[in-house]
Amino acid sequence: MTWLLPALLGCAMAQAVLLPSLSLGGIRPDLFLLLVFLVSRRCTPEVATLLGLLIGLWQDGLSGGPLGLRAFSGSLMGFLAARLSHHLYTDQPLALFWLLLGGSAISGGITFALLTFFLGPRPVLPALLWLIAPEALYTAAVGLLIFWLPPFRAALAGPA
Amino acid sequence: MSGLLRLLARYRRATILTTALVLSFLLMTLQVRHESAVVTLTRQTLLFLASPFIQITAVSLQGVADIWHDYVDLRGLREENKRLQREAATLKGRLDHLEEQALETQRLERLLGMRQASQAEFLTARVVGKDATNWFKTILLDRGSLEGVRRNQPALAPDGLVGRVVEVTPTSARVQLLTDPVSAVGGLIQRTRVTGIVSGNLGAGTRVRYLPLMANVVVGDEVVTSGMGGVFPKGIPIGRITAVERRSGALFQEATLQPAVDMSRLEEVLILTASETRPGPEASGSLESGTGRRP
Repeated sequence: MTWLLPALLGCAMAQAVLLPSLSLGGIRPDLFLLLVFLVSRRCTPEVATLLGLLIGLWQDGLSGGPLGLRAFSGSLMGFLAARLSHHLYTDQPLALFWLLLGGSAISGGITFALLTFFLGPRPVLPALLWLIAPEALYTAAVGLLIFWLPPFRAALAGPA
Repeated sequence: MSGLLRLLARYRRATILTTALVLSFLLMTLQVRHESAVVTLTRQTLLFLASPFIQITAVSLQGVADIWHDYVDLRGLREENKRLQREAATLKGRLDHLEEQALETQRLERLLGMRQASQAEFLTARVVGKDATNWFKTILLDRGSLEGVRRNQPALAPDGLVGRVVEVTPTSARVQLLTDPVSAVGGLIQRTRVTGIVSGNLGAGTRVRYLPLMANVVVGDEVVTSGMGGVFPKGIPIGRITAVERRSGALFQEATLQPAVDMSRLEEVLILTASETRPGPEASGSLESGTGRRP
């Protein structure tokens, strides 16, 4: 787990400084979620849940949102991804893209539901069209590129 | 007791997941009604740990961008004529550098002009990072409590309001932009003196809410801060109305607003650290009664 701290710092720096210049319409890929997916493939569901919680808390600390928002979706996504990775993992790019897209969309949906619950009702359609869907698409596309790099590809293909 | 432990161990997967979810939920609950000391301390610690790395990355990135631009300039020109173009590239590199400096000076002069036009005390801060998610609109500044930055101080740009400081560490501060979905700023239609609440929205742009149904609001109206709420001084430009919606049966009308400041291009901001302010001439219609006070 010595890689976790550099990975968390790397994600923080990339997400806060590097990615804003690559944003499309103000939307950036969610590297923290990709990190959750990556660790989930390598860990048991218990560890993936705790790492998802930790990664989410870290992301919340670097965001203007309430602490716990991304931690909730991170731990849930970590658990689900680790639990289902045996059945769902594939090295087919298109299938991997759809998996990442689905995971990112679910994570966005959970975040939206929590925001609605805690901060009051928000219009669903604009959030879906201009935030959740583009973020999921961008995250899945970037995730596919990253996970296609040999070191990450090996990490993903390894024993879960 | 041992029976309970055995049960938890048997269902440890579900136990860990439930604990993680409940803990997250509890953290969010603690922040909804009032500020929790634990949550504030946790947030500040996380930000304090990350901000030096973010600041170093921002500075390094700027350095790399400068080198890259110089390299691109040189290489492109060498293809046409080696010696002359190398000279031209050098000159262009210098010109770019000077232009960049001139633009920076221009921006800082505008900030300085704004500072001089007011009786308030300002602090100039550089934007070093943005929010770690797409869901919230905040920026990270390279100034913190050691230099006098405090929570709820307004952040301004030459064109108008940027937002307010929501989190401070000794060396950095987080500013919630007025486009953030959780932000709410008291706004005043400059032409008709009608008040409303300017707030961000998830994916739906910036809105002006709670405008009286019969109020005269048209596209192109300028909106300035109303001074109500005590955080923002009165008369700071917020933006311009781009669309007005009057839904049948609704108690209020709403409007879409184009912020005066382009939040995606912010490089420096002014933090209003003390006292009354009399912002630029754009907001002059509302300045006479400006009695903004910090909380």
